Amino acid sequence: MIKMKNIVKRFGANTVLTDVTFEAGEREIFGLLGPSGAGKTTIINILTKQLDADAGNFETGASLFETGLMLDTDGLYSRLSCLDNLNLFADIYGIPHKKGLEALENVGLYDAAKKSVGTLSKGMRQRLALARAILHEPKVLFLDEPTSGLDPNTAKGIHKLIKGLCENGTTVFLTTHNMEEAVKLCNHVALLHQGKIVEQGEPSKICERHNSYKTIPDLETVFIKLTGVELE
Amino acid sequence: MKIIKAIFKKQAKDMFKNPTVLLMFIIFPAVAFIMTVFVTIPDNEFGDNMFVTMMASIFAGMGLITAVAGAIAEDIETRSLRFLIIAGVKPHQYLLGVGGFFLAAALVTTIIFNLIGGFTGTDCLKFLSIMGSGTAASILLGSTIGMWSKNAQAAGGLATPIAVIIGFTPMIANFNETVEKAAGILYTQQINVIVNDFSADMKKPLLVIAANITVFAVLFVLAYRKKGLKG
Repeated sequence: MIKMKNIVKRFGANTVLTDVTFEAGEREIFGLLGPSGAGKTTIINILTKQLDADAGNFETGASLFETGLMLDTDGLYSRLSCLDNLNLFADIYGIPHKKGLEALENVGLYDAAKKSVGTLSKGMRQRLALARAILHEPKVLFLDEPTSGLDPNTAKGIHKLIKGLCENGTTVFLTTHNMEEAVKLCNHVALLHQGKIVEQGEPSKICERHNSYKTIPDLETVFIKLTGVELE
Repeated sequence: MKIIKAIFKKQAKDMFKNPTVLLMFIIFPAVAFIMTVFVTIPDNEFGDNMFVTMMASIFAGMGLITAVAGAIAEDIETRSLRFLIIAGVKPHQYLLGVGGFFLAAALVTTIIFNLIGGFTGTDCLKFLSIMGSGTAASILLGSTIGMWSKNAQAAGGLATPIAVIIGFTPMIANFNETVEKAAGILYTQQINVIVNDFSADMKKPLLVIAANITVFAVLFVLAYRKKGLKG
C-alpha cells in the first residue's frame, strides 16, 4: 500500500507540496492527476527516495529493489541495443537474461531486441523504458506520464499492459494530465493543483459528487470546477 | 561484485559503439607505431623509442581524462545513472565499474605501446607499472571532472584544456628546460622520464605520481561530497 501523510516539500522559498495526503490500495491503479507543474513528479521523486520531504511521512510497501520506475526522461543507453539495456539491469537485479526478452515481448519490442536504442521512435523508447521498469516484476510500479506524447495506438497498448500488470498483482501509481486516461485506467485518483490535493476517490464517485457524470465520468469538468484551471 | 561486473560490461559495450572514445585507445599507439617505423631523426638524442614514450605519456594524460570525464558526465546528463542508483547500484560500485573498465582498456593500449617499444624483462615491468599508476591518476581526475560537470559538453570543455596541459607538457619539456623544470610536478612528465631511461632512479618519479594521485583523490572526495552521484 502506498501512503502519504501531510507531506510538505519546499525548493528554497517556493512550497511545491502542501500537506499532501492520500492512500493507494494494494494491487490497484492509482492516478495522480494535475497539470504540468502541479507537483506530480515531485511526489514520485519523494516516494522513490530521490528527494527528501521537508515534513510528513510516507510508505510504499516495497523496497527500492521491489519498485519499478518509469520517469519523464527514459535514461536509456542510446548506443546499446534494447536487449543490452535490459540485460544490464537484469545483471544488477541478479535475474536471468531471458527475463529481458520476456519484458520486450510484453511491450511488443521483441523484434527490435538487437536494435540500437538511438534508432528507436519516441513510442518505442517509452515502451522500452516500461520494459525496464517491469523487468524484475516489481511489487509497486511508478509511472510518470507513461503515455505522454504517444500516438493513440501505442497509448492503448501501454494501457492494456498496465491493466495486465495490475491484474497480476502489481500496484501501479501513475501520474497524468490526461483525465480520459485516468478514468479508463484508475481505480482511485487524486486531483493535484498547485501542490495540494483538491479531491480524491474513485473517478466515478468524484464525478457524481460534483454532478459531472455524463455518459462517462468527466473528471476534466470536475478539475476545472475545483481549480478554475484548464488542463493542457 | 556482480554489479561492478555489470557496469564494467556496459561500459565495454558502450565504448565499442562509441568511435570517438574507441579512437582514443587506438590512435596514440597507432601514431607511435607509424612514427617509430617511418620517421628517422638523424643524431636523435631522445633514443629510438622517442615516439613511444611521447605518445604513451600523452595517452595516459590526455586520452583517459577526457574519456572518463565524458562517460560519467554523459550518464549524469541522460539520467541513466539515476536509474542505476534507483536499481540499487551504489556510487562506489558505479565508479569502480567505469574506472575498472577504463583501467583495463588502458592496460591493453599500454601492452600495445610495450610491443611497439619492444621493452622486455624489468623494463617491461617498469613500463607497465608506471603507466598503470599514471592511468589510475588520470581516471581519478577524469572521474572528478565528470562528476563536477552537468553534461558531457561541459565535461569536454573542462577536461580538454586540463588534459592538453597534462598530456602535452612532457612533449614540450623535451625541447625547453624551463618547461621541463615546471613539468616536474606532473605525473605524465615522470612517466616520460622513466620510459625514456629505465635505468633512472624510480624513487622521485614514483613519489611525484603518488603525490598527484593524493591531490586528485582529495579533489575527487570534495567533488563527490559537493555534487554526489545521484544523476
